[in-house]
Amino acid sequence: MSPSFGRGAMTNSWQDMQNSECFLIAGSNCAECHPIAMKWVNRARAKGAKVIVVDPRFTRTASQADVFAQIRPGTDIAYLGAMINYYIENRLYDEFYVLNFTNALYKISKDFGFKDGMFSGFNPETRKYDYASWAYQLDAEGKPVKADSLDDPDCVFQKLKTHYSRYTFEVASNITGIPVAKIKQIADTFAAAKPGNIFYALGMTQHTTGVQGIRCYAIIQLLLGNVGKAGGGIQALRGEPNVQGSTDMANLNANLPGYIPYPTNQEKTLNDFAAKHGSVQYKPIVALLKAWFGANATAENEYGYQWLPKNNPANMPIQPQFFSKMEEGQFKLLLNWGSNSTVSIPDRKLVARGLSSLEMLVVADIFNTETAQFWKEEGLNPAKIPTEVIFLPAAFVYEKAGSMTNSSRLVQWKEVALKPLNDCHPDLDMLDHIFKRVRALYSGSNDPKDEPILKANWDYGDHEASALKVLQELGGYNDTTGKPIAAIGEYLAAPIGTVSTGCWVYAGVTPEGKNLADRRGNADPTGLGLNKDYAFAWPGNIRVLYNRASCDAQGQPVDSKRKLIWWDPVQNLWVGNDGPDVVDKTKGPDTPEGKIGFKQNPEGVGRLFAATYKSGTVAPEGTAAVVPIRGAGMTVDGPMPEFYEPIESPTANLLHPEVQSNPCAKIVSKEFGNPDEYPYVLTSYGVVEHFCAGAITRNIPWLNEIAPEPYAEISKNLAHKIGVKEGDEVEVSSARGKLVVRALVTDRIQTLKINGKDQETIGMPWSWGFASLSPGPSTNNVTMNACDPGAGTPEYKCCLVNIRRA
Amino acid sequence: MKFTRRGFLKLSGLSVAAVASGLGFDLEATAAHGHALKLAGCTKIPSICHFCSGGCGLLLHIKDGKLVHLDGNPDNPINEGTLCPKAASLAQVAYSPERPKNPLYRAPGSDEFVDITWEEAYDRIAKKIKEVRDKTWTSTEEITNAKTGAKETVTVNRAEGICMIGSAEVDNEESYLLSKLARLIGTPFHEHQARI
Ligand code: SF4
Repeated sequence: MSPSFGRGAMTNSWQDMQNSECFLIAGSNCAECHPIAMKWVNRARAKGAKVIVVDPRFTRTASQADVFAQIRPGTDIAYLGAMINYYIENRLYDEFYVLNFTNALYKISKDFGFKDGMFSGFNPETRKYDYASWAYQLDAEGKPVKADSLDDPDCVFQKLKTHYSRYTFEVASNITGIPVAKIKQIADTFAAAKPGNIFYALGMTQHTTGVQGIRCYAIIQLLLGNVGKAGGGIQALRGEPNVQGSTDMANLNANLPGYIPYPTNQEKTLNDFAAKHGSVQYKPIVALLKAWFGANATAENEYGYQWLPKNNPANMPIQPQFFSKMEEGQFKLLLNWGSNSTVSIPDRKLVARGLSSLEMLVVADIFNTETAQFWKEEGLNPAKIPTEVIFLPAAFVYEKAGSMTNSSRLVQWKEVALKPLNDCHPDLDMLDHIFKRVRALYSGSNDPKDEPILKANWDYGDHEASALKVLQELGGYNDTTGKPIAAIGEYLAAPIGTVSTGCWVYAGVTPEGKNLADRRGNADPTGLGLNKDYAFAWPGNIRVLYNRASCDAQGQPVDSKRKLIWWDPVQNLWVGNDGPDVVDKTKGPDTPEGKIGFKQNPEGVGRLFAATYKSGTVAPEGTAAVVPIRGAGMTVDGPMPEFYEPIESPTANLLHPEVQSNPCAKIVSKEFGNPDEYPYVLTSYGVVEHFCAGAITRNIPWLNEIAPEPYAEISKNLAHKIGVKEGDEVEVSSARGKLVVRALVTDRIQTLKINGKDQETIGMPWSWGFASLSPGPSTNNVTMNACDPGAGTPEYKCCLVNIRRA
Repeated sequence: MKFTRRGFLKLSGLSVAAVASGLGFDLEATAAHGHALKLAGCTKIPSICHFCSGGCGLLLHIKDGKLVHLDGNPDNPINEGTLCPKAASLAQVAYSPERPKNPLYRAPGSDEFVDITWEEAYDRIAKKIKEVRDKTWTSTEEITNAKTGAKETVTVNRAEGICMIGSAEVDNEESYLLSKLARLIGTPFHEHQARI
């Protein structure tokens, strides 16, 4: 979403779903995987809202739908592209919104092109695009040139129109298996009832075209004017309890906390860093360095910038690639916290080989996971595995104080409810002890390489680390007042180098003597589910992101039933029921700043076409260099989404047979199958009773009774063809591995017509592994490790398999 | 309130007295009263569900330091007291016999875990971090400057041999210290399951 809207986060909240008139739920079985979403969807349904579900299976969510379509896994972009085409051709878009809040009028460079499935700028050697031609036409000041009307052949709107003209309902139907009339019904239903809301989860992201699928959602929502409005937006239903928070805290190699781009070896100095990423990243990185190095971070030493390890872009493995780097001998020590790769990473043999190559593996978790016991798996010889393993028993969520951030950016605090069981400890304590011990081992060293450890600011208490002290570091301090930062506005207004924050988007969460994440005021005076006094939503307690786009040219709400914010001409201020997501609360709708709906984008508008662009040039305070202000988020595999077949696909790409799959995909697995040997498409999923890799839920007796084992769901046609009945054991195999489970013969999966041919889909839940109270075979024996080039998400949701009676 | 035999008799007497149609006594009232007895005198402490990213509120009923009951927090506006089956079973983690009691160690080539103390665990981990950090340290590397095309040597300060997999299942404060610790010891190789 960030290449479209500027921020990667879910736009609205759970409670806000009650305001929707229509839902498109595609790539999410929220009735099982996010039951809380269904609670609020049902509230909207009670008021007449419509529900559209698109899924490879007739799921529990589908059972609640007004319109259901069964789709071949991995082909969403085909029907979404057809929806875009239909909205443009039939003028079903919101013209005011498109003109004012998107880049539809911006003129695109004459160098841009698209032919036979490839955008301009591809380098076949690196399998990467050079973005240079995906640019705007610029005026003398370097600002984008805007067309006078949407009919200008150079403008984004026309580029979109041409690009998607190939996506007719018929083409989409042949690719996806959804009948033509059904695609039209989906498009009409979704455009007719506004505000419309789109949900997705891993069903959409676990593809080699995952990011572009979400881009389609963004384009549809921008065309229909559904972003920034109560009941609208795009909801990324995230998988884990704190995945929003852990991403905010940059547990990923491309960022520092608060989405600061991670410095690479090309950015030798802090000025180089600012020149590359824009002045908007300058203040956050300085504030972070001050949080990390305290008084040792000064203007003279670039605030300790040199102490940060720099990324080498040529060697930046993502998690699924870590295991290859272990096997190749680069990584010798893995510190692994609350994550069960042995079950969750596709192509499990590779994971086992990687872990067996380590000198030491440290696992901290609640239960003794498959990852900690990888050397016990059948087929491995422990005597030949030299890896030392240390398991640290961790305290559970209610046994420790701290905060978690839910999918809608809501930071909620909790106190200790129970003392940790046995001799378990919070991960916070473990990290504190480990860091202090490492520091003690280096004490007295004069080696410059040890400076980052010895100069670090690390003081969270003497015995047990205090989570509140850490949260206060995130919320930040103002050197000028000597106090905690009171609100994000104070952080934004402060001169560079005078504030510190561990994560600038959380600035102001802990004003002096307060913890806003611990607020319990649950009143909802507007009835819109904003609950402004409950906990704290980053940034600045805004509950509906981009809410400036819910207002007209005069700054008044376009939807009188769902008022979020408005311009108050008497006070000369943006005010409202929600926190205004505006550049400056005092700049009215007649000023350039006051018109901006998407302030995190350098253009200030939503991006239908993800062009390369950096806004403005300034000299940030304290530097001599002139640098751009803000750069745009990019999609590495094209400025507009294009349909590609999954890496393992049963059929040829109908749009461009010579470019079958995503030319930029990151291929990690080494073994691939073809449709002659492996004719069926496998899709994996979760069930309500088990959570992710099952490390916790497979140790809970109640849940094991309800969902004791994995299975393979197949259509009646396929069951007949291979001669199995419900409950028979079947062997599912791919080029990478196999497993034996029971067959579940069902109407929930139907045979699809793909390009004139019958195609079968097989569904399997994946939450099992060889350990725990309830062991079971792992579906990831057969899945494939090939990843989306932008997000690095593996294509779990489709690979080719064979199935036979075991 | 202690659950004594007298209390139990009084309770059954009460329910028999509350004659309802059919059965002769009100099963629902019995159930409700039993629930009230179990929860009487508990401290109620709110917490947060640990499964999907809903952030539904939990309410833990604690008596004498023990978890007596867990349900949805009616004051949390996200779930208004409701919980899905996964969360409703979360009380079973509190005293699960499957939870390891102390740190464990598996020696190279061994086929078993043995118990170790926290002291020993921390000591081994810290020493290993130092050992791998020192032997795989890269302080500078040669790059081709993307702008000028010139070859230059730049400071990179990386411990190439250490990697870290963080978690979306721990608190923000823990997540942040994971990031901070990784980068302070020199590893930019820090990832977690957000991608998968
Ligand atoms: S109670 Fe269920 S729906 Fe709510 S956060 Fe937990 S897992 Fe998600």
